[in-house]
Amino acid sequence: MRVTNLTQNVLAAIWQAQDNEQTALEQLSSGKRVNRPSDDPAAAAEDVLNLSQQAQVDQYTQSTNSLNGLFQTADSALGSAINALNQAVSLGTQGANGTLSTANRQALAASIQGALDQVVQLANTSYQGSYIFGGTAVTSAPFSVVAGVVTYTTANGNAGINQATIADGLSIQTNVPGSQLFMQPGSNVIGSLEQLIAAVQSGDSTATSNATTAVSSALNYLSTQRVFYGNAMNQVSDEQTTLSQESTNLKSQENTLVGVDMAQAATQLTQAQTDDQAVLAAAAKVLPMTLLNYLPPG
Amino acid sequence: MPGLTTALSIATQSLMVQQEALQVATNNIANANTPGYSREVLDLQENPPVQQSSLWFGTGVSANKVESIRDQMLELRIYDETQQQGNAQAQSTALQQVEGLFSDPTQGIGADLTAFFNSINQLSTDPTSIPVRQSILTAANNLANDFHSTVTQVDAIQHNQDLSVTQSVSQINQLTTQIAALNGQIAPLQQLGQEAGGLEDQRNELIGQLSQLTNVQVTQSDQGETLSTGNGTPLVVGTQSFALTTATGAGGMQHIFAQGTDITGTLTGGQLGGVLAVRDQSIPDVLSDLDGLAGGLAANFNAAQKKGFDLGGNQGQDFFAPAAPGAGAAAAFQVLATDPNAIAASSDGSPGSNGNLANLLAVANQKLPSGATPIDDYSNLVFNVGNWSSQAQAQATATQASLQQLNNQRASVSGVSIDEETTNLLRYQNAYQAAARVISTIDTLTQDLFNITTSTG
Repeated sequence: MRVTNLTQNVLAAIWQAQDNEQTALEQLSSGKRVNRPSDDPAAAAEDVLNLSQQAQVDQYTQSTNSLNGLFQTADSALGSAINALNQAVSLGTQGANGTLSTANRQALAASIQGALDQVVQLANTSYQGSYIFGGTAVTSAPFSVVAGVVTYTTANGNAGINQATIADGLSIQTNVPGSQLFMQPGSNVIGSLEQLIAAVQSGDSTATSNATTAVSSALNYLSTQRVFYGNAMNQVSDEQTTLSQESTNLKSQENTLVGVDMAQAATQLTQAQTDDQAVLAAAAKVLPMTLLNYLPPG
Repeated sequence: MPGLTTALSIATQSLMVQQEALQVATNNIANANTPGYSREVLDLQENPPVQQSSLWFGTGVSANKVESIRDQMLELRIYDETQQQGNAQAQSTALQQVEGLFSDPTQGIGADLTAFFNSINQLSTDPTSIPVRQSILTAANNLANDFHSTVTQVDAIQHNQDLSVTQSVSQINQLTTQIAALNGQIAPLQQLGQEAGGLEDQRNELIGQLSQLTNVQVTQSDQGETLSTGNGTPLVVGTQSFALTTATGAGGMQHIFAQGTDITGTLTGGQLGGVLAVRDQSIPDVLSDLDGLAGGLAANFNAAQKKGFDLGGNQGQDFFAPAAPGAGAAAAFQVLATDPNAIAASSDGSPGSNGNLANLLAVANQKLPSGATPIDDYSNLVFNVGNWSSQAQAQATATQASLQQLNNQRASVSGVSIDEETTNLLRYQNAYQAAARVISTIDTLTQDLFNITTSTG
């Protein structure tokens, strides 16, 4: 065949070799096989979803960390309240002894009042500026003393419950309202303490004994309620393990989708460089050659 | 009658013919790198012999014609492949610009969407937190900004395509005028049965350039070549060229008219066809996807807002500017809320409630009119943009290779080989030298004859 446009073919070969070099170089320097959607449209689209999931998993992890702090604060407040109640029960048991002097009874009543004050203070615990036992009314202290009686008004606290999403399709309850914890009819923590103070002050052994039993039963009730926070902390901690695993999986999936095999890319670069050099060397030999090189001058 | 005079006349004619052949070779060498040039050969013919008694004697050589070597069918194949290559290349260039806007998955609309919903999730752990609420506003504004900048940049690419339509049309008109003028020069020569050589090369080269711009159908008529667009709109008939015109049409884009008829939709080949495909199909698709995403997201989120209460206990208001569905929704996408308190997290009116956040978060998984969730919708858009670009690039590479192959064939038939012409130079130089020697020999013989005549006289 007559070959007359060697230059065009040689140029095309040089450009092809250099294009391969550029691709290999780009993959090596970015560490990615997919540097723009057209490199692999399906992988690029999948990568958008993958990165979105990764960001979501990071967010869930952050949420569980926040919740963990909240739950620990609530759990430790309830723990302290239970200690105060234990103390009140033992004070009440002393108060049921009919031989106490008035002064001693007043002293006991004052101590129990101290326990009540402590419980009220704990019931008004706040975490990051929000009262955690106010239901969904978190901006002002839910428990206040009105005319000598501790009250939980709907203006300050309510029975509202919040949920937080900590994984796709998984929401957990994040609070127990203070009315349920401290003023549950039949297991009224605050009511039974107020009753005990009144009974000790009055010197009525039977009433004191009954009131002590009521405080004791409220204590058991509160311990049962506290389990909610313990469970929630376990759940959050389990979820953190799951999320961490998921994050690892997603990262590995991302790498499979758009990452480049470094060894392979390096080999490709070397190959492309070799090709380029070979084409250039061949071009330098072939292009200047015509019959004229061999004809005598003139 | 053969004799010295006849031999002298044969030699003289040979000198002239070898000179002509040298000139053809020189012209070939001179045009070795001229685009579209077809090599020429001098068609040599033996003169009719004469009979002398029972013998036939040759009477030398004469040059019949200068012939251009070309394969017209191959030229037609090249026009067709050129228009396909021009089309794919134009689409590939424009679509690579478009996909550039979607090439970093860690930034842009997709990442903003996720960040926006994540900031809402963050609020669920602390519904009264002003900093977290502020971060939702920031994330929403980032999303709005990226909608705007993406739309602006896609619009700019579309605008550039539109400019290139006008340029292509003016180039086409220039080419068809030149081709019609060449037809006027070539047709009379052909009618006389003469070779139009260089003029035909020029015309083929111009049709090649025209094919780069749009698909051209070439038919032969006695007035020269007739050119029309793919759907038959005439561009050149004989010596008459028909100019295309442009006028602003629907959507502010340039439409192309041929003798008053809008032929924009029928131009599918060449660079112009590629530009029109991107301008009128791919880019409107991208914009309509973005509009569907922005409009649907705003509507769904606003509806969810109204189910809850803001930090002040008031019913939630529109968070995004309510956009009319359809064109322009992405450009009009705007965050109305400026007060972090306005986020309707509460389901019971008390500030600490996060009950409505579940509704706001559900928007992330709520299907848009397209049938996909927002992030799926965006991911589909990335796929489409990548897929179009990838197809156009593959097409451009394939047609380039095939065009290269055809050009090799053309070069093999019509290209000038320096080696060949050098060989020709040597051949004709030798023949010229030999003919010159014949003349000097005849001169000597004639001198001898004169000398004989003189000495006997």
